[in-house]
Amino acid sequence: MNKTADIVIIGGGVSGCSIGYYLLKNGAKNVVILERDYLSAGATGRCGAGIRQQWGLELNCRMSKFSCEFFENAVSELEFDGDVEFHQGGYLLLISAEAELEQMKKNIALQNSLGIASRLITLDEAKEIVPYLNTDNLLAAAFHQKDGHLNPFHTTQAFAEAFKRLGGVIETRTAVTGVTVSNGRITGVETDKGTIQTGTVVNAAGGYAQGIAKMAGVELPLYSERHNILVTEPVEPLLAPMVMSFSLNLYCQQSPHGSFVMGRTDDSQPRDLRVSAYSGFPELMSRSVTGLMPPLKNLRMLRQWAGLYNMSPDKAAIYCEAPNVSGFYTAAGFSGHGFMMAPATGQSMTELILGLTPTLPWPKMGLDRFETGELLLEPSVV
Amino acid sequence: MIKTDLLVIGAGPAGLCAAVAAGESGKDVLILERSHTPGGQLVKQTHMFFGSEKQHAATRGFDIASILLDKLNAMSNVRMVTNATVLAAYDDGLWTADILGKYEKIMPQAVVCATGANEKSLAFPGCDLPGVYGAGAVQTLMNQYGVLPAERAVMLGAGNIGLIVSYQLLQAGVKVLAVAEGSARIGGYLVHAAKLRRMGVPIMTAHTVKAAYGKESLEAVTLWALDDKWQGIPGTEITYRADTLCVAVGLSPLSELLWQAGCKMLYVPALGGHVPYRDDNLRTSLPHIFVAGDAAGVEEASSAMVEGTLAGLSAAEYLNAAPADIKERKNDCLSQLAQLRSGHVGERISAGLELARIKEAAGIC
Amino acid sequence: MLEQTGIPEASDINGVFPSDERLAKGPVAVIECFQRIPCNPCSTACRRGAIEAFDDINDLPKVNHEKCNGCSLCVSRCPGLAIMVVDMTYAEDKALLKLPYEFAPLPEEGSSVTALNRAGEAVGEALVVKVQNTPALDKTPLVSIAVAKDLARTVRNFRVTDDTSAESPGILRGDEAPSPMVCRCNDLDLDNIRDLMKKGFTSIDEIKRVSRLGMGPCQGRNCIPLVLGELSRFLGKPVSELDPGTYRPVVKSVSLGAVAEYDGEALTE
Repeated sequence: MNKTADIVIIGGGVSGCSIGYYLLKNGAKNVVILERDYLSAGATGRCGAGIRQQWGLELNCRMSKFSCEFFENAVSELEFDGDVEFHQGGYLLLISAEAELEQMKKNIALQNSLGIASRLITLDEAKEIVPYLNTDNLLAAAFHQKDGHLNPFHTTQAFAEAFKRLGGVIETRTAVTGVTVSNGRITGVETDKGTIQTGTVVNAAGGYAQGIAKMAGVELPLYSERHNILVTEPVEPLLAPMVMSFSLNLYCQQSPHGSFVMGRTDDSQPRDLRVSAYSGFPELMSRSVTGLMPPLKNLRMLRQWAGLYNMSPDKAAIYCEAPNVSGFYTAAGFSGHGFMMAPATGQSMTELILGLTPTLPWPKMGLDRFETGELLLEPSVV
Repeated sequence: MIKTDLLVIGAGPAGLCAAVAAGESGKDVLILERSHTPGGQLVKQTHMFFGSEKQHAATRGFDIASILLDKLNAMSNVRMVTNATVLAAYDDGLWTADILGKYEKIMPQAVVCATGANEKSLAFPGCDLPGVYGAGAVQTLMNQYGVLPAERAVMLGAGNIGLIVSYQLLQAGVKVLAVAEGSARIGGYLVHAAKLRRMGVPIMTAHTVKAAYGKESLEAVTLWALDDKWQGIPGTEITYRADTLCVAVGLSPLSELLWQAGCKMLYVPALGGHVPYRDDNLRTSLPHIFVAGDAAGVEEASSAMVEGTLAGLSAAEYLNAAPADIKERKNDCLSQLAQLRSGHVGERISAGLELARIKEAAGIC
Repeated sequence: MLEQTGIPEASDINGVFPSDERLAKGPVAVIECFQRIPCNPCSTACRRGAIEAFDDINDLPKVNHEKCNGCSLCVSRCPGLAIMVVDMTYAEDKALLKLPYEFAPLPEEGSSVTALNRAGEAVGEALVVKVQNTPALDKTPLVSIAVAKDLARTVRNFRVTDDTSAESPGILRGDEAPSPMVCRCNDLDLDNIRDLMKKGFTSIDEIKRVSRLGMGPCQGRNCIPLVLGELSRFLGKPVSELDPGTYRPVVKSVSLGAVAEYDGEALTE
């Protein structure tokens, strides 16, 4: 293992690999990614894999639009010898309350102003997209064709291989045990395989980001919450878009492989980093999804798993350098959307770390917003 | 939600014996069996059992199942449901099941996991052709469903399953062309081997399948000899025209539920695969979960029955309902097991069990 | 050798055969049990104490041929069908062998059958003298056949039908065989798996995520052990040191409809 590095990235999920790629692409040298297990073993490999641009905050729209456009060209951009399985079947956001409808109208106006071609559609139009949709408790829907689904494992591999091609080093099965700080500056990273001297650490540890920060003496206002997902046996193509309902707290889509992947937010899930499956999830999920799309009752659940949402106080990401430890950077708090934002995360952190002119709105996404109260309250999250 | 004192998963020889032993304590026992018939492998075992009278020796497997079921049916506190698959174990102590097509949750005070074993598969060219079966599958088709799956069969594996199923294929009128065994010695009981040989069936030790061939389904099987490093020797190929190849290369414990529940597991080749650590009471690393039969390590049905009884007694003791003579009865089980394991393959199994044994077996409660 | 062929050798047989003196006195049991296995029904079946009680259930049966009167009670009780009764006094030139025989059709009394040796090879003619198939025999019928006396130690079976067609094995095939299928649920063969290992995916969980191995309806029961073996060879590590991956709910697929209908109420009788 390297004894020194210019930059050490902690976390081999999609965020860490993307940050590594963008750093090297923009001239950084001697960058090491440390992963305690294998690439995308954490939240990346457990996520729902949806990609959307329909947000209620301008900065989220801009970050996601940047990311989505990157994904459209990811295979050639990253020279990946494989398929990231980007399927732009659209996102169908279901609206079931007047207040939600009003918010959605605002969102769409914002999105359209930023070049995102989302539109409000009637329930009849929604049924053209999903003919068996139960519209009983719905008012309308929002739809954007360019949203969709992407394979998290392959995407992370694509970033990782491009990173390595540019000279980056990835150490898997290497757990960080300490972050050393001297006079308010980062001096190194301790691992179970040895120590690396470095002046710059990027904390991209997903659900474990607050723990890594603690090692450096940095307090982050983050907590990690368990979220469950289930997948069904594969069937013929039945559902093109990701179907999402904020009031039902669920999302569901069919992967190109044929399986249906669905998740929901359940209250009172543990925040102790447990990723075991939740016994109450199958019936809660099945009930809500078959109520919305009755034919899905014939699908067979094949497996259930859980991963961590790394939650920030306002459910928007944090991109920052720690105020009290120079050289300690964090990209975390994605609150369930780290995968779809990964290219923007890479670009933003690179601009932040290398001192480049911001092309993305990351300067508003620092820690100071929790001091000033200028929170980034995103209205449209599950 | 179903509440029960004891959940027994699997109504094979181990599960039935566990339920009988625990049922005698008066506690509520629920046995869930995924098949439509109870008895597990017993119901298709048309051969007489080895062992001693205590394990129903010289009685045919399906008759043993009836004997155990009669005992269970006489107990009002024991309920058995077939067509009931336990689906999952969660870390909050809940278990879920598909019971007669209904999804149910179960909150048991104690569990005996007697899920049995799964046939191992082998990867060889053509192994996915229709006509390539697990030997146990063929036995089920013939002996349980009355379906003759073959006209001309080759058996891979000369352990007891391979030998017994070959004999049963002969009884069903199938031409058994050869029994191939990868190792240099016959693994099953030699009396079973002798039964086949005097029917004219060749047993080819140090041989395995090279490839299976066929367009729509199996048409031919090529065997070849193995050298002492288990590599095929070119030039030794023999090809048989066959419509069936039975793979009998061992069993692996069905331990998914134990993994899910969080039992400490380890891999022991002599026991067939991943098995739970357990103490002498057959209690796993989780205090309320007990294990018996092939799920605890692949052995014969005779020892599965004794283990079932022992696990059932231990579970009753854990539930504070131990019979007065529990010590004697447990010791009897332990001495039966010691006897059953002192024979031909017993040494290897005993060594394997020692690896998986939790030594500091304290009292149950 | 018996453990390689399954055929007891002449020395094995001679070792368990009664003395010529005893054979001259009438029917007697011959037990061809050469391996310590946990089994004792022969001893408990004998009402004359001719098969000594076992100290250890794995003991080989010890027959006191003087006490044995050839009653054949033990023959159908032996789970290994390892016992026959020999009567060298049956006729001047013929011995009578009482054999367990579990095949249909049973021979007709008085018919002629082909006598087979312990390798299943035809060695002569035999006459079916008696066929017993009483409920007490519990589906292991006893067939008594008369054979030439000099074949008494050779014959151990017979064939009713005249099927002498020996199998002609043998065509060699040079066909290029396909790569063995490993994961049928997601259509992965051995070459696919080996390619992934070479690319650096060297744990079950990684291979699962990149290829969906083991994530189909069989839940990995068939493929994971095979791939663990491959990984073990590839990494030069025993399987016991490899992580078999995470076992997730559910063990068997279940319809979302059935799960959705769960109402929390207990199953009623």
